[in-house]
Amino acid sequence: MSAVEDPRTDVAGGTDGADGSVTFGLTVDGTAHEVTARWDESLLTVLRDRLGVRGPKTGCAHGRCGACAVKADLGDGGHVLCACLVPAATAAGGTVETIASISGPDGALSDVQEAFLAEGAVQCGICTSGFVTAATELLETNPDPTRPEIEAALYGNLCRCTGYGRIVAAVETAARTRRAATR
Amino acid sequence: MFANMATGGIGASVRRPDGPAKVRGEFSYAGDLTAEGMLIGVTVRSPHPHARILGIDTTAARAMDGVHAVLTVDDVPGDRHFGLVLRDEPVLADGVVRYAGEPVAVVAAVDAATARRAARAVEVTYEVLPALTDPQLALTAASIHPDGNVYRHVSYSCGDPDARGVVTVENTYRIGMQDPAFLAPEAGLARPTPDGGVAIEVATQWLHSDQKQIGWATGLPPEKVHVSLAGVGGAFGGREDVTLQTHACLLALATGRPVKIEYTREESFLAHRQRHPGTIWLRHSADADGRIVSVEGRVLLDGGAYASTSPVVITNTVTLLQGPYRVDNGRFEGWSVRTNNPSCGAMRGFGVPQAAFAHEAQLDALAAALDLDPVEVRLTNALQRGDVATFGQRFDAPTPVREVIEGLRAIPLPTGPAKLPGGVGRAAEGGTVRRGVGWAVTMKNLAFSEGHVDESTAEVSLRDGHATVHTACAEVGQGFVTVAEQVARTVLGATTVEVVQPDTLVASAGSTSASRQTMASGTAVYRACLAVRDRLLGRVARAHGLDAATLTVADGVVCAAGRPLGPVATAAPGQTFRATEHFQHPATHPLGSAEGGMYVAFGFSAMRAVVDVDVELGLVSVVQVASCQDVGTVVNPVQLRGQIEGGIVQGMGLALMEEVVVADGLITNPDFQDYLIPTIVDVPEVVSTYVTDPEPGMPHGWKGVGEPPLVTAVPVVAAAVRAATGLPLPAVPIKPEHIALGIGAAPTVTWTTPRPADPDRPRGAVIDEEPHDAPGTMAEEGAPSG
Repeated sequence: MSAVEDPRTDVAGGTDGADGSVTFGLTVDGTAHEVTARWDESLLTVLRDRLGVRGPKTGCAHGRCGACAVKADLGDGGHVLCACLVPAATAAGGTVETIASISGPDGALSDVQEAFLAEGAVQCGICTSGFVTAATELLETNPDPTRPEIEAALYGNLCRCTGYGRIVAAVETAARTRRAATR
Repeated sequence: MFANMATGGIGASVRRPDGPAKVRGEFSYAGDLTAEGMLIGVTVRSPHPHARILGIDTTAARAMDGVHAVLTVDDVPGDRHFGLVLRDEPVLADGVVRYAGEPVAVVAAVDAATARRAARAVEVTYEVLPALTDPQLALTAASIHPDGNVYRHVSYSCGDPDARGVVTVENTYRIGMQDPAFLAPEAGLARPTPDGGVAIEVATQWLHSDQKQIGWATGLPPEKVHVSLAGVGGAFGGREDVTLQTHACLLALATGRPVKIEYTREESFLAHRQRHPGTIWLRHSADADGRIVSVEGRVLLDGGAYASTSPVVITNTVTLLQGPYRVDNGRFEGWSVRTNNPSCGAMRGFGVPQAAFAHEAQLDALAAALDLDPVEVRLTNALQRGDVATFGQRFDAPTPVREVIEGLRAIPLPTGPAKLPGGVGRAAEGGTVRRGVGWAVTMKNLAFSEGHVDESTAEVSLRDGHATVHTACAEVGQGFVTVAEQVARTVLGATTVEVVQPDTLVASAGSTSASRQTMASGTAVYRACLAVRDRLLGRVARAHGLDAATLTVADGVVCAAGRPLGPVATAAPGQTFRATEHFQHPATHPLGSAEGGMYVAFGFSAMRAVVDVDVELGLVSVVQVASCQDVGTVVNPVQLRGQIEGGIVQGMGLALMEEVVVADGLITNPDFQDYLIPTIVDVPEVVSTYVTDPEPGMPHGWKGVGEPPLVTAVPVVAAAVRAATGLPLPAVPIKPEHIALGIGAAPTVTWTTPRPADPDRPRGAVIDEEPHDAPGTMAEEGAPSG
C-alpha cells in the first residue's frame, strides 16, 4: 500500500476495472442499477448517457445553470445539487431522484408542475426540470416562502426565456395550493 | 373573442401543448437524441483568430481505434462555402482561419471520449497572421477575405440635414457584444438515407435555410436533404445560422452511420453568432420646445469574421436611429465590417437595441439641455400615423406612440424599500443607495425587410373534430405551437389539435425570428383552417340540403343561419378534409427604392425603469420595469406576458452585465461562470400593459411582440441608472467601474443659431453612394472603449 491510500477502495460496493473504470450500485428514481463508468464521469453523464435518464438536462456542465438539478442522497440525507458537478462514483450506493420522481405514482402532475403550466413558467423548457426539482425541494422545507426565500432557493437555476416572473408566480401558486390542500 | 375563452381559442391563456412533457422532463430536446449504431462527432477548432494553415495531418487521428472519419475541407464534396446572406464562410477552414474557434476538421468516432482524443490528435500547422480586431481599422487595413472587409455601407439623407434648432446635442455610444446564451447547447443527429441522401434532426430556427446550405456542401439536391426539428432549448437568433448541421451530415454520409454532434457550452460561445457590438455617433438638433429639427448619425458594427446577417443588421440600425419620433431632416450612415473577431449575426432585436440605446440617450440629453420633462419631449416628437420615416416609408398602419407613452404614465411608481443592490453576491454593507427613474420609447420593424421574401405555408386536416397542423415553423420556446392550436380551435371548431413537428416535407416557413411567426405562419395556418372549414361546411350543406353560405362554425358547433346544427366533431363522420395554404406579406423593397417601403410592419414600446444604485460600489438593482407595448390583438395573454418579461430581462442583461469579452480576437469568458446572465435575484417586478390596435391585414389583427421588450429594456435601464447617478454612461453594459469611477463622456451641448430647413431639399430618402465620413473619426468622440 502506498503512502496515500487510494480513495476508490472506500467506494461502497465499488470495484475497480482494469481500464480505470469503476463499478458501483446507484438507485435512480426507485430503480437499482449497477453502473460501470470511468472514474472521472459526472453523475449527469452516467444518468443521461449510461442509464438513459434524460430528465436532467445539460446546459453548461459547469454547475452554473441548474438544468441538471437532481435530488441526491449521498449518505447525507439528500438535497438538490447539480449532477454535472458530482463525480458519479462518489454517489456509489446512493439514491438519486430526478424530475421523473416528482409526478404522482399514477403519473399525475405534482402541484408544482401544475402551477408551472398554469402560470406560463415554461417556454423552451430546457431549464424546467431543474426549476421544478429545486422548487419542489423548497416547498418541502418551507411551505410558505417569501419572495426573497424563493429567490434564494432558485438563484442557482438559470432561465433565458421567461425572465423568471412566471416562475416566481408558479412557486407562489404551488405553495398556496399545497397549503390549501393540507389545511 | 370572449366566446373563445371557453374553447381555448384566440384570446385565451391556453396552456402550451408541449408543457406537460416539459414539466415532467420527458420532452425530447436535440441533446437527448440517440440512435442505434450512433457515432459522436467532434469539431477541431482554430486556436488563432487569424492564421494560414500550412498543413493538416489526420493520419494519427484516422489510425485510432473507434475512429470512423476525419474530414477536412478537401472532403467537402459540394460547394466549400456557405452563409445566410453572402456565401463567404468555409464549411471547414480552407487554407486560412479568420476567427478563434473556426472549424478546421470534424471527427466521428464510437463515443465522445474517443472522438475528443481523435480531435486532439489532428495535427494542424498554422502560420499565425496579425489579427484585425479593431473594426475602426477594417476599412483601411489589408483585406482579410477575398470579398473585402466591408459587409455593407449604408448612407442616405432626407430633407435638409443641416437644419438646426436652438440646441444641438451629440455623443458617441458603445454597445457590447451579447451572446444569445440559449440554455441548450447546439445539438443535432444526422443519418444517411437509403436514397443516398441525408436526414438531420436538429435544434434550429430555420429548417429550409439549413436544408439549402447542407445541400450546397454535400452536393445533394434539396429533395435528398431532409431536415426536421428536434426539441429546441431557446434560440433568440443564435440558431439562425448553420453551425453543426453541415458537419453532422457530411460525417453521416462519409461513415454510413448516424452521427450526433452536441456542443459544449464553450463551443456554443465560439460557434454561434453574437449580437453585433457597435459604436454609434448621434447629433440631434431641436427647437426650444424640444421638437427635433434634424438628426445625424453614424454607425459602425463589428460583424466579425464572416458575413452572416451583417449586411442586413446594419440597415436596421441605421434606418431606426430616428426612433419612434418624427424626423424630417437627417443624414444617416453606417458600416458593418469584417474583422478577426467572433462572427456576429442575428440576435433578438437585430440591430435595433443598438440604435435604441443611442437615440434614447439623446432624447434625454435634449430634455436635460432644454430643462424639459423627458416624457414631454417624447410626446412632442412622437410619430403619428401618416408621418413619413427618414427612409421614405409612410406609417400607414396604427402608429400608437403617444398611446404607449400615455399608457405607461398611468402606471403608479413603486413605493417602499427594495432589496439592496448586489443580490446574493453582495458582501459589503450598503453605502449610498440612490433611486433613479428612466424612460424609453422605441420602434422595432417586424418581419423580414428590404425585399427578403417573408412567407409561410400550412397544411391542415380535420377529421371528426381532430385537426392536424403542419408547418415548417420552428418552435423554439416562444409558443407558436399554442398559437397554431388556438387558431385551429377558433376557425375550425376543432376539439383536439395536433401540431406536427416541423420538417422540410412542407414548404418553407422562413426563420423563427424578426417577431414574425404569428404573422407569417399563424396567418398561413389561419388561411388553411378557413379552407378546411369551407370544405367541411360544403359537405354539411350538401348532406342537409342547405346553402353553404348560411353555415358557420362557432365554439365547435356548426350553425345554420346562426342556429346550432351539431358539433363539428360529428358533422361528417369519418371524412377527412385537407387544405394547404400559403401566406406572403406584401413585398418590401431595398432602402431608397422608389417602388415601396422597406418594412412590413412596426411595433412600438414604452418603458419606465426604477433602479436603486449603490454609487460607491457601482451596483445596480432594477426595482421595477413598467411597460406599455403596441401588441395588436392579444392572442394568448399568458404567453404575451412571457415574451414581455423575458425580453425585458434579456435587455436588462445587455444593459448591466452581459458582454462577450474579446481580447486579441479571443473570447475570454465563454462560460456561465464569467459571462453573466440575469438570475432570479436580479430581475425586477414587471408591470405590463398594452395598446391593442389591430394590425391591418392580419387575421384578428395580431402582430409580432417578441423583440420590442428587449429593444426598449436596454435604453430604459441605462436611463434610470443615469438618473440615479447623474453620470452620462454612454456605453452598455454599464459596469460597476463605470459608475464608481464615473467613466464615460457626457454629451456635447451646443447652443446653435436656428437654421430652417431648405425647402428645396427633397423630403424622401436620398441614397448617397460615397461615404460622407470615415468610421475612424468616431474613436475620438467620447465613449469609453471596451
